[in-house]
Amino acid sequence: MKALGAWIEDRLGLGPVAAFLAKKEVPCHRHTILYYTGSSILLFLGIQIVTGVLLALYYQPTLAEANASVVRIMTEMPLGWLVRSVHSWSATFMIALVFAHLLGIAFTKAYRKPREATWLTGVLLLGSSLAFGFTGYLLPWDELSLAATKVGTNLPKALPVIGTWLTQVMRAGDDVTGDTITRFFIVHVSVLPLALLAILGVHIFLVQRHGMSAPLEAERDKIKLPWLPFWPNFLLREAGVWFVLLGVLLTVAVFLAPGVGPQADLMAPAPEGIKPEWYFLFMFQTLKLFPARILGLNGELIAMLVMMAGMAAVLFLPFIDDRPFERKGKVITGLAWAGLAYAIGMSIWSLM
Amino acid sequence: MESDVSRRRRAIAAAGLLLLGALVASGWLEARVQESPQASLKPAAAAPEQDKPAAPRPAKERMAVYVILAWVWLSIAVLLAFLRLRVREADRVHRMGLHRAGDGPPGAPGH
Amino acid sequence: MKLPASLYSRRAFLNGLIGGWLAALGSAFISPLLKYIVPPTPEPDQVTVPFADYKDMAPHTVKGFAWGNKPGLLQRTEAGEYVAFVGVCTHLDCNVSFVAEQRRFYCACHEGWYDENGLNVAGPPPSPLRRLSVSVEGDTLIVKRQG
Ligand code: HEM
Ligand code: FES
Repeated sequence: MKALGAWIEDRLGLGPVAAFLAKKEVPCHRHTILYYTGSSILLFLGIQIVTGVLLALYYQPTLAEANASVVRIMTEMPLGWLVRSVHSWSATFMIALVFAHLLGIAFTKAYRKPREATWLTGVLLLGSSLAFGFTGYLLPWDELSLAATKVGTNLPKALPVIGTWLTQVMRAGDDVTGDTITRFFIVHVSVLPLALLAILGVHIFLVQRHGMSAPLEAERDKIKLPWLPFWPNFLLREAGVWFVLLGVLLTVAVFLAPGVGPQADLMAPAPEGIKPEWYFLFMFQTLKLFPARILGLNGELIAMLVMMAGMAAVLFLPFIDDRPFERKGKVITGLAWAGLAYAIGMSIWSLM
Repeated sequence: MESDVSRRRRAIAAAGLLLLGALVASGWLEARVQESPQASLKPAAAAPEQDKPAAPRPAKERMAVYVILAWVWLSIAVLLAFLRLRVREADRVHRMGLHRAGDGPPGAPGH
Repeated sequence: MKLPASLYSRRAFLNGLIGGWLAALGSAFISPLLKYIVPPTPEPDQVTVPFADYKDMAPHTVKGFAWGNKPGLLQRTEAGEYVAFVGVCTHLDCNVSFVAEQRRFYCACHEGWYDENGLNVAGPPPSPLRRLSVSVEGDTLIVKRQG
C-alpha cells in the first residue's frame, strides 16, 4: 500500500493538494449550513451523469424513435422506469439546490470582493443547469415537450435583429422538427456537460483559492470564528447529508415516477394546460401577464427585455453591490427576498 | 465549548429538515407539473388508449424495488450511526489540537 | 506529535466500518445496474411467416426470414421439403450467404464453407450451422427452435 502510494505520488505529485485539504478550515457559525448546498449539488450532478449515461444507452434522438425509445426504456428495460425517474427527480433536486445555493450567497453577501469571479461562474452554472433542464424536457418527445419547446424557442424571436436567427439556431430551422431533437440531444449530453464541468472546475478552484466566507460581523470585527478542519471533520458531515439526500431521492423516484405522454404530432393542436418545468414557471407566468401591446410597443419584446435585465442584474450583482465586505447590504437582502417571493408567487399562480 | 457543539448540532439538524422539506415541496410541485397536464389530457385524446405506465408493471419487479429501497435505508441508517461515531472521534482529535498529526487526506505530509 | 495508539486504532476501526457499509450500500445497486446495462434479448421460441411468400421456391434455393435479430435461412430441398438454418457462422458470428451455383453456404469473414445440409466442410467453422424445425399450418409457415 505504502509503496503503491509513493509510486502514484511520484507520477502525479498531488502532495500539495492533499496538504492543502489537510489545512483547509471551515468556519462554524449560524450560516454554516449554506456550505452544504454546494457539495450536495455535486452529488446530484454526479447522479445526473451516471443516470444520463444509462438512459443514453437506449435513447434514440430521432423523430420516429424518440418517444418510442423512452417508452421502451420504461417498459422493457429492467428498472428502466426507475433510471428515468431518478434522472428526472435528481434534476429537480439539483436545480432546487442551485437556487438555494445562489440565494444563500446573496443573503450572506459572500459574493463581495474578492469573490466576484466565483459568483460570475456560479451564475453561469445556474444558466447551464437550466439549459440542461430545457433541452432535456424535449427529449421524451411527447405532446407536452413539443409544445413547451415551441414556446421556449419562440421567445428570442421578439428580440430585434438577431432574434429570428437565434430561434432558427435553437430549432435547426423555422420549426421544431426531428432535427431539433437531435440538436437538443447533443447539447444535452455533450455540449452542456463539457461546458458545465469546465466552469465548475474554475468555480471550485476559486472557492478553494479564497477560502470560505465568514459572516459580516466576523469579517468586520476580525473575529477568528470557531472552525472545523475540512478533512475529515467537515467532509464526514457532508457525507452524512449526501446519504440522506440519496435515500430521499430514491424514495421519491420510486413512488412518483414520471409518465410519458403520447408521441408528439407536428400537425396536432397544442394540448390543454401546457406547462414548462417548475423552475421556468415564474417566467412562463410573467409572459402570460404581459399584454400584446404596451404603449404601442410589442409586449413580448418588453417582457423579454425585463427578464433579460433581471438576469443581467443577477449576473453582475457583485459589481452592482461592490461595497466593502463588512457593510450589511440591507437593500440587496430585501431585493433577494422580493425576487424569491415573486418567483414563488408567480409559480403558484401558474399552477392554479 | 459543549453548548457550542450542541448548538451547532441543532443547527445542522434544523438545516437538514429545512432542506428536506424544501426538496420534497419542490418535488411535489414538479410532480404536479409533470403529471397533471397528462392526466387532463387523457380523456380528451380520442386515440385508442395507449398504455404507457409510469410505474413498474411486473409485480416481481415492484417487490424487488421495495426490497432494495428498504435495504438502502437500512444501510443509510447504519452508515449514519458509524459516521456519527467517526465525526465525534474526529472532533475530539480536533479539540485536543492533534489534527495535524496524521488525520489528513492520504498523501498529506504527516500521514 | 504522535497519537496514542488507542486513538489511532479506534479511527482505523471506524474507517473500516464505514468503508464496509459503503460497500454494502453499493452492492445493492450493482445487480440492478448490470441487469439494466445488459437487457434480456431472448431468442424467439418460434417465428411465423406467410407461407405464400415461400410456396413457390424452387428446389435447392434459399430465402431469408428474420429469426429474432438474426438472419434465418429457409431452404427448399430436392423432395420439396423445407429446412431452416440460423444464418450465422459458428466461427465468429458473421452472417453467411447461400451460393446457389455451388449449393453451399459461404461465410466471407474467414472463408468458411458449409454444405447444403449446413455441415461445416471447409475453413475455420468448428461446427454445423444451427438448424431450426419448420412446419406448415394452413397459410403460415412456423419456424421453431429445435430440441
Ligand atoms: C452546478 C452548480 C454548482 C455547483 C456544483 C457548485 C458547487 C460549489 C461548491 C462545492 C462550493 C463550495 C462551498 C459551498 O458549498 O458553498 C461552492 C461555493 C460557491 N458557489 Fe457554487 N456551485 C454551483 C452553482 C453556483 C451558483 C448558481 C452560484 C451563484 C450564482 C454559485 C456561487 C458560489 C459562491 C459565490 C461560492 C463561494 C461561497 C463562500 O465562499 O462562502 N455557485 N459552489
Ligand atoms: S466468422 Fe465465419 S469463418 Fe470466421
